[in-house]
Amino acid sequence: MTQTAQDMDAEVWFDLSRNVLKAVNIGVAVLDDQQTFTIWNQWMERHSSVLAKDAIGKRLTVLFPELENSRLHGAVQNALESRLPALLSQTLNKAPFPLFVTPKDAREGHRMQQAIQVIPITAPGMPTHCLIQITDVSLAVNREAILRQQAIELRSKMHSDGLTGIPNRRRFDEHAEESYRLAARNGQPISLIMIDIDFFKQYNDHYGHLQGDQCLIEVATALSRAIKRPMDLVARYGGEEFVVVLPDTDGEGAMKIATDMRSNIEQLGIEHAQSAVSNHATISIGIATHTPTRDAGKLHDLISQADEALYEAKHSGRNRFVCHADLPPSSDTY
Amino acid sequence: MFELTELQHDALVEIFNMGVGSAANAMSRIVNEEVAMSVPKITFQNRADAAMALGDRESRRISGVSQRYEGSLSTDAVLMFPEEKSLEIVRLMVGDAVPMEELTEMEQEAMSEIGNIILNACVGTLANIFNTELQGSLPNYMVGSSSDILSVGDKSNDDIVLMLHIEFAIEKHRIDGYVAFLLDMMSMHDLRQHIDNYLAGI
Repeated sequence: MTQTAQDMDAEVWFDLSRNVLKAVNIGVAVLDDQQTFTIWNQWMERHSSVLAKDAIGKRLTVLFPELENSRLHGAVQNALESRLPALLSQTLNKAPFPLFVTPKDAREGHRMQQAIQVIPITAPGMPTHCLIQITDVSLAVNREAILRQQAIELRSKMHSDGLTGIPNRRRFDEHAEESYRLAARNGQPISLIMIDIDFFKQYNDHYGHLQGDQCLIEVATALSRAIKRPMDLVARYGGEEFVVVLPDTDGEGAMKIATDMRSNIEQLGIEHAQSAVSNHATISIGIATHTPTRDAGKLHDLISQADEALYEAKHSGRNRFVCHADLPPSSDTY
Repeated sequence: MFELTELQHDALVEIFNMGVGSAANAMSRIVNEEVAMSVPKITFQNRADAAMALGDRESRRISGVSQRYEGSLSTDAVLMFPEEKSLEIVRLMVGDAVPMEELTEMEQEAMSEIGNIILNACVGTLANIFNTELQGSLPNYMVGSSSDILSVGDKSNDDIVLMLHIEFAIEKHRIDGYVAFLLDMMSMHDLRQHIDNYLAGI
């Protein structure tokens, strides 16, 4: 390029360069060693509504007082003093210059998303200048916002139960695994609750599957209302079974939650003509608690113990909870 | 292998700690949050050993930001983090958790900026203290194995790598990364000369 320039008549080269600056689809502004604008191309005029004649000769922080002591200002100083180039990403620097894609955006104050490069320019016999090059990255930013939204939706779909909307079995598996590991590391208790809707098969047969689905949705919502902390989790385990993970909760705490859950279901008052224990829908609950250590205790055992407790609750008459607290093994029936 | 005296070594560690300290300040200002960085250790290795130390054998994916510097000392400088750590850093800096396993285009740009700040701060402090001037290129983002990343500049294999271990702390997270300066024999000699001049001057 410079070779061509040398061969070319200086005046032609000058005109050509000026027209290239006019034509390029990026913002080009150049500051001299006093941080005064010496070049301000058409792209800058178009998107800032500051004309070249009004920008040239003005200092950076006079034309844009808001940039005083900003990261951009620092990058310019660094380019002029240490001759090191800088990159200002859109993500970490929200629209430093008041630039707008359209006049409508300008009226509404929506700034263009900008990626900026600050590059020192040196030439023999000339003080260091600094090139500020600005690219409009609005399209890429919008595209990523859409991508991000879709990824979030996809992830939440992967982890929630299609019918009830509460966390699904997959989410439970991950959360239980992580919570159990954490409990072992911190030497804290962890409780697990298994829940089964009493005589749900008979409910389905009597009221039909649509009504059965409605019952599951209402029960799921009522159970979820009983937990308050973000680390607690109610998930659909399968069919009419639900499971609750309660980190940092001993047997006593878990029994309180179980009591709340039973009374929440009670309050729903879902009519159940085929139940042998009540005239409305009820639940049976099995609770197990571990205080695992690094070398003792398995999530698998905690789940089986909660399962056994649920089995006991069902076989001792349903509509109740059974708690298998930590070792030494003891069993409280309510 | 290239050796520095204890005095030379300590001087370099001190200079780089000043460098990353000022980079941490710049980053704190961007995110409005305490960012701390330090260089607990520097080592000299040949390129193959450096790649191996960064997990080349396990074909671990590294994300790197490189810049070329020239002047009284020529070097390719590369900031490196294991790929998952670079996700963590960018998302901590941006304050936005994106459920994606790779950096998006805009996040790569942010990572380049972080690299630019850290590398310029290290090299700028070095140049300043050595009372010299180095010109730098704009940062370049890459992902690959450690030997891919350390092949920037495409020079001979007997190049020496000056490796900075960097500890990076933001919010309660501590993340380890590396800055590698790839130096040929000539640059290595220049570096030692600069350190000696500096030590003679204080």
